Amino acid sequence: MIKFNGVNKWFGKLHVLKDIDLHVTSGEVVVVCGPSGSGKSTLIRCINRLEKFQKGELFVDGTPLHDYSTNLTKLRAEIGFVFQQFHLYPHMTALQNVALAPINVRKMKRADAEALAHEKLDRVGLADKADAHPTQLSGGQQQRVAIARGLAMSPKIMLFDEPTSALDPEMIGEVLDVMVKLASEGMTMCVVTHEMGFARQVAHRVIFMDEGSLVETGNPHDFFANPQTDRAAQFISKILTH
Amino acid sequence: MMLFYFQRLIEIFPFFLKGLWMTAVVSGISLIMATIFGLLLGIARASKNKLLVGLIGAYVAAIRGTPFVVQIFIIFFILPEWGIQLDAFPAAILALTILGTAFICEIVAGGIKAVPRGQWEAASSSGLNLYQQLRYVIVPQSLQTILPPLVGQYVLLIKDSSVVSVIGVMDLTRVGWVTVNRIPEGLMVFTLVGILYFAISYPLIRLSNRLEKKMATQQVML
Ligand SMILES: Nc1ncnc2c1ncn2[C@@H]1O[C@H](COP(=O)(O)OP(=O)(O)OP(=O)(O)O)[C@@H](O)[C@H]1O
Ligand SMILES: [Mg+2]
Repeated sequence: MIKFNGVNKWFGKLHVLKDIDLHVTSGEVVVVCGPSGSGKSTLIRCINRLEKFQKGELFVDGTPLHDYSTNLTKLRAEIGFVFQQFHLYPHMTALQNVALAPINVRKMKRADAEALAHEKLDRVGLADKADAHPTQLSGGQQQRVAIARGLAMSPKIMLFDEPTSALDPEMIGEVLDVMVKLASEGMTMCVVTHEMGFARQVAHRVIFMDEGSLVETGNPHDFFANPQTDRAAQFISKILTH
Repeated sequence: MMLFYFQRLIEIFPFFLKGLWMTAVVSGISLIMATIFGLLLGIARASKNKLLVGLIGAYVAAIRGTPFVVQIFIIFFILPEWGIQLDAFPAAILALTILGTAFICEIVAGGIKAVPRGQWEAASSSGLNLYQQLRYVIVPQSLQTILPPLVGQYVLLIKDSSVVSVIGVMDLTRVGWVTVNRIPEGLMVFTLVGILYFAISYPLIRLSNRLEKKMATQQVML
């Protein structure tokens, strides 16, 4: 589904992704963790080319992303992206946020798109918030609308960049619950997160990044119980004591 | 004597209304065109295309850095050199459009750049093409920043339109000049001219202030 072959990226002189090799299969849930600045966001932002890279190959659902002539809008419609800061459209209601892309990209009739949007909002537990504007919603509710917005396109892949990091602690659970449900339904997911409970519960694989390299990868149980590298061990002890 | 002139002025008042109408038409057409071109150039100016950004920047600098009266003379006198005969009326509209576009494009570019990058990222991630991103996500949000100064710019444009009298357009200002030749009461005549300009500017000034307050307190719904 997603295949990195020796991907390298630089921001100016800063080498942020170093020879990344990674293969994510259909239906797999991968959690990416690592210290701040290690390149986690950059890695998953490459998957829908919010970031370009300079060297290597990346195939997503068969589409070559290293080939800059590929039609991106078509691929992006198949990939949902959930941001740390939600990025809901503030001038639209929750319903309009969710229905916008189905109407304009999938060319659905407005009534059909709104029915679909209601269904997705219901799925994230916000059936009663359809007419609310983002400013009238709590952080956790906003993030769930953002997830519904992604799901409305029936994506093949969902990408999450620290979806709970901007939330008050009491709201983290409601967002993770939605993500756990999604994972159990077989969605292909790449999730940058430090929520180890989530990783343990649903991840098939945990990937540890440090200074732009993919340092360690393993199933969640092994990774947390006996990390193979010192850097991973240090990182785990740090997040556990927090 | 004063009273006599005042009566004369009232007699020829329809002549002033004609001038007012000409001012309204010249500035109305120009500001509609300047808004359209300003929106397009403003979007381009907020883009990442360095060549486009540079070219538009040079145009804006040239317009901002020269007096409008000089610009209008250049347009009025240079075009015949190239074999293009323009009457005063279209020349005036062309000059005002070029002037207004420069200022409006800066306002639009500023408004677009004020929309957070995350909005672009969310819109493009969901598969919207560039036009759809602008149409549904970016431009509606930037209107908050754009509208108040845009309406303010309309007022400036209407006032600047008085300069077109120098190439012979019979606008409100020129009506004033012509009248002074017959009624040598400059103060009286130009007070009337001023009042008439104010009559069309003031509603726009009010609108601009209202928009500013409205934008500050609530989101624009589209
Ligand atoms: N647009 C950019 N321009 C220049 N440098 C950047 C840019 N974005 C990120 N970087 C740098 O690239 C490196 C990797 O950034 P990235 O955001 O991928 O890290 P991260 O692992 O997601 O960190 P965090 O946990 O803080 O989100 C960092 O050193 C960062 O400063
Ligand atoms: Mg990050």
